[in-house]
Amino acid sequence: MSFYISTLLVYFFVDVLLAWALNLQFGWGGIPNFALIMFQAAGAYAAAVVSLGPDTGAGAFQRYVFGSNLPFPVPLLVAAAAGGILALVVGVFALRRIRRDYQAAILLIVSLIAIGAVSNVVGLVNGSNGLTGVPKPLSGVLSGLTYDGYQWVYAAWAGLIALGVYLLVARLGGSAWGRALRAVRDNEDAAATIGLNPMGLRMQAFVIGGVIAGLSGGVLVEFLAAWSPAAWGYAETFAVFTAIILGGVGNNWGVVLGTLLVQVIFLQAPTFLPQIGYTGLIDALEWVLIGILWLLCLAIRPRGLIPERRHRAEPPPAGAVARATAAASPAPGMPQ
Amino acid sequence: MLIIQAIGFGVITAALIAIGAMGFTVQFGLTNVLNISYAGAMTVGAFATFLAEVVHLPLVVGVLLAPLAAAALTWVLGRTLFAFYARRGAGLFEMVMVTLAVNLILQFGIDAASREQIYRFAFPQGASLHVGPFTVTVTQLALVVVAVAVFGGLEFLLRRTRLGKALRAMAVEPRLARTCGIPTARIVTVVWLLSGALAGLAGLGYVINALTIDASVGTSFLPLVLAAAILGKAGSTRGAVLAALALGVVTEEVAAVGGAAYSTVAGFGILAVVLLTRPAALAGQTAGKAEITV
Repeated sequence: MSFYISTLLVYFFVDVLLAWALNLQFGWGGIPNFALIMFQAAGAYAAAVVSLGPDTGAGAFQRYVFGSNLPFPVPLLVAAAAGGILALVVGVFALRRIRRDYQAAILLIVSLIAIGAVSNVVGLVNGSNGLTGVPKPLSGVLSGLTYDGYQWVYAAWAGLIALGVYLLVARLGGSAWGRALRAVRDNEDAAATIGLNPMGLRMQAFVIGGVIAGLSGGVLVEFLAAWSPAAWGYAETFAVFTAIILGGVGNNWGVVLGTLLVQVIFLQAPTFLPQIGYTGLIDALEWVLIGILWLLCLAIRPRGLIPERRHRAEPPPAGAVARATAAASPAPGMPQ
Repeated sequence: MLIIQAIGFGVITAALIAIGAMGFTVQFGLTNVLNISYAGAMTVGAFATFLAEVVHLPLVVGVLLAPLAAAALTWVLGRTLFAFYARRGAGLFEMVMVTLAVNLILQFGIDAASREQIYRFAFPQGASLHVGPFTVTVTQLALVVVAVAVFGGLEFLLRRTRLGKALRAMAVEPRLARTCGIPTARIVTVVWLLSGALAGLAGLGYVINALTIDASVGTSFLPLVLAAAILGKAGSTRGAVLAALALGVVTEEVAAVGGAAYSTVAGFGILAVVLLTRPAALAGQTAGKAEITV
């Protein structure tokens, strides 16, 4: 039981990271990132290959590129960087000013094709069999701990990372940058008129989201010790979408609530149920239910359980406007 | 020699993509619903024929069941679920979310019903024919003929009949079309049925070529179909066919030269290059004034 709870905690923190990444990109930036899970996968693969050690070449039981043995925190940094770089590359063509439904479709195509390519090009990250045997971080230093104890230490570590990322996204959301991003989302033309750069802001949000998603992949793969194309089917992206739509798009805490309900309670609870039918039946039915849940959310509470706070600019104190106008006395002859 | 052979395979692949892309684009151009559940409809069509074969129905009946089942499904979805969300004011992107959720339900519903298995799809391939430098089976040739017939039929329908004229008028300006007395509801019904039928045919063609069938065939085929429809411009059957030809030939050439692993990546490369070099072709299209009509 203790083992189960610590595992769930790690999943929860990883899923929350992913949900905040999507909230930044989709909730505030308006980018329908239907390829979200691909960025987590990029981070996971990156962290795996740089900690697995060199590929022993032909005849080895798994093949991959960039094999090396980097010490503990470095693989996570590599994971974050991989997510960010991938976001930059995808963003260059996917963030152009195109209709949002096209944009969503293109990102979905990217995700589907990436999984097909990774499965088929075996030399890259061992194709559809995936990578296994990723070393657990600091298992040497923490060798005094029991297996169970290590689980809890890892859960605490994942929680620490989640806290750090929360501080980052909360800060970003409240900053001038966050307001500019939401302005671009709500009315791109008006935002451009007041001097904001819509393409630049979207790209920044997309890359930061990519970094967070990549980091979540690194945290997850070091915990699971394995990663394969089965772990990042396009349906996984929609579990995250369902979570943030249910919880409340644009609200960091709503997103946490949605993740708890969808990813942890809904998708994990059935492991407690007795097995019915053949192996895998419950998994398939879960995705059917996710689809139904999603349709219900869109029909009943499109703004989520905890909706986005309306951000209002504070009215300036009386007199401030007059002083400002006087200070910036316009040059004579300027059209008013 | 391999490269020339690959052109032949490319044309066959292109025929499959074209059938799917035409069905997708006719519907998308008219209703502005970017229908991801088209993948699910393709799978349903393929499974209809597969099931007919399992219970030993005559081949003709089995082949006809694919478009019929997919058309019925697409029509029901369009008229009930999609219409419901459109009435509630769903925008272009919200409709994508709806169709995607439907696709998730269809794919994993079929997955559950088919016990998550991959089945062999033994469709008679017919004798091998030698056409110039190419070797094709009768069935593959038939797929190309069907694609050409669908293209010819659609062109005739859209450009020579009253229905086609009404359809094109509606795609440009739905409200004005209704004011002019065009029965828009009936036309939307025709388009859902047509789109669904072509989805079923495309799905069937895909599994005939792949020789196996499982719940994810539609989703596996979707990227190429969607890419062809987007590259060919929404609503344009000619564009869809041209894009399908380009995608089909390039992917098969890349498969022949560099190995099958890279073929879909090449298809995506084309889409990325077009997005980078001619974004205007996709950007404006009808941005801003496009609205959902279901």
